[in-house]
Amino acid sequence: MAVRCLAVAIGIAGAPGPAGAYTASGDRNFPATLILPQLAPGDELYLNYNMLPLSGSGAGAVSRSTNFTVVYGKTITDNLGIFLEETYTGDAVGGAGTLWGWQNQTASIKYLAVNNLDHEFIMTLGLDRETGGTGAVRVGASSSGATTPQLYFGKGMGDLDIGYLRPFAITTFSAVTLADTAPRRDVVSNGFAVEYSIPYLQSKVRSFDLPAPIDHLTPITEVLFTSPVGRSYGSRSTALIAPGVSYAGEGWEFAVEAQLPATRATGNGIGVTAQLHIALDFFFSDTIGKPLFSNP
Amino acid sequence: MRQRRRDILIVGGAATLLPLLPLRAVGEETAGSVVGLLGQCAVDRGGQGHPMPLKLGDAVSITDTIEVPPDGKLKLRMRDGSVISLASGTRLTIAAYQIDASGQRQNAALSLAQGLLRAVVAPVDHPSTFEVSTAVGTAGVRSTDWFIAAQPGATQVGVLEGSVVLRSAATAHFVLIPARWGARVEAGLDPVPARTWSPAEFQAVISRTDVP
Repeated sequence: MAVRCLAVAIGIAGAPGPAGAYTASGDRNFPATLILPQLAPGDELYLNYNMLPLSGSGAGAVSRSTNFTVVYGKTITDNLGIFLEETYTGDAVGGAGTLWGWQNQTASIKYLAVNNLDHEFIMTLGLDRETGGTGAVRVGASSSGATTPQLYFGKGMGDLDIGYLRPFAITTFSAVTLADTAPRRDVVSNGFAVEYSIPYLQSKVRSFDLPAPIDHLTPITEVLFTSPVGRSYGSRSTALIAPGVSYAGEGWEFAVEAQLPATRATGNGIGVTAQLHIALDFFFSDTIGKPLFSNP
Repeated sequence: MRQRRRDILIVGGAATLLPLLPLRAVGEETAGSVVGLLGQCAVDRGGQGHPMPLKLGDAVSITDTIEVPPDGKLKLRMRDGSVISLASGTRLTIAAYQIDASGQRQNAALSLAQGLLRAVVAPVDHPSTFEVSTAVGTAGVRSTDWFIAAQPGATQVGVLEGSVVLRSAATAHFVLIPARWGARVEAGLDPVPARTWSPAEFQAVISRTDVP
């Protein structure tokens, strides 16, 4: 979702993908990410807010983009799931106030190919499909659809003998968005997130007498790069750095991150994103929160 | 003469019933009985250090310690209707198992020294406890189908139905585990946040506690 929001905000057809989710591998919980798509399928609900000042100035230029996104994830089997996503965008346009409208509808499917519990390692394959012409052109929704193959890795450091560094984990994301038709361009997206889980520190390394809410926090920094490939139609590469923190409750997470554009094409000032993640598989584990086909 | 005969009957009856009194007392402490057995399972009555072989139908009582050999399995039906299945290599002590007059559980406390058990806990219509303690933590439920394994330096819990609270013995911090999820706690640490268990993980503990 954040990938798409950024892409829309900076005026390129970025690699689409659902919202971040927390995913577990062994005793490692990868918390929900806000900029990068999630690691693996799940029965989850995400409510995301995203605001980023843009470089546009003058009449007709977008100076700020605000996005509200809802993502629903549903597992088909334990390793296979789908995501449905809707984003409502408000673009502050010079001389025209704020234009509101929906982005294109997207759906994706993800397959958790590897989940090595002992080594806290995850690999997921994804395929995202954006349906062109289902959103509002006034907020940048393209009339052309796009298909995006995706590859994800997640690795926790808990299996390494590195003491207090064991709570570190890294996740990576790579994708290629292939546009259906010109002038929408193809885009390569790459990103990573580095996180230090204090709950992991408390439960796997050493239990300090930390007060709430510190003992539930995971500082996290996400980085996302996008680059047009082939004919660019004037678009440029972007880089976004998003440091923040995630709080893990029982069955939910809330995270806030700053958005620091690393290039002028990315943005023009500090933005912010926040996300509430509800684990449907926690609250409704016997009904809507379990895979359609599962044993037991 | 008639009075003397009556006295003799009373004394004789009392003498006859007297040996039954301790049995009745034991009966009141009976927690359940053996309904499935594989291998040479044994019970140490009251922690006396003299394990005796168990057989189908034998009663198990409060303070009994049950030992399942490496090639054995055991299934108990408790007086409240709960069913506890013990995997091979398990050592379990029944610390408490109180039943009210209607046969419903008031509180149950088991101590799992090592091994793995599956508990299908009967529901009750009033507040009650069902707790399993290990060296590093305690898991408590009301009614559910779940597993708990005592490993060296750690305890692992998986929940098939219902929910379980797993509490660290060292820090008293706890985690709620819903159905299809699991969690673990390691010695001296907080519980690891719960996560969904894969079918393979559940199948592993099901097969280990499946008593024919």
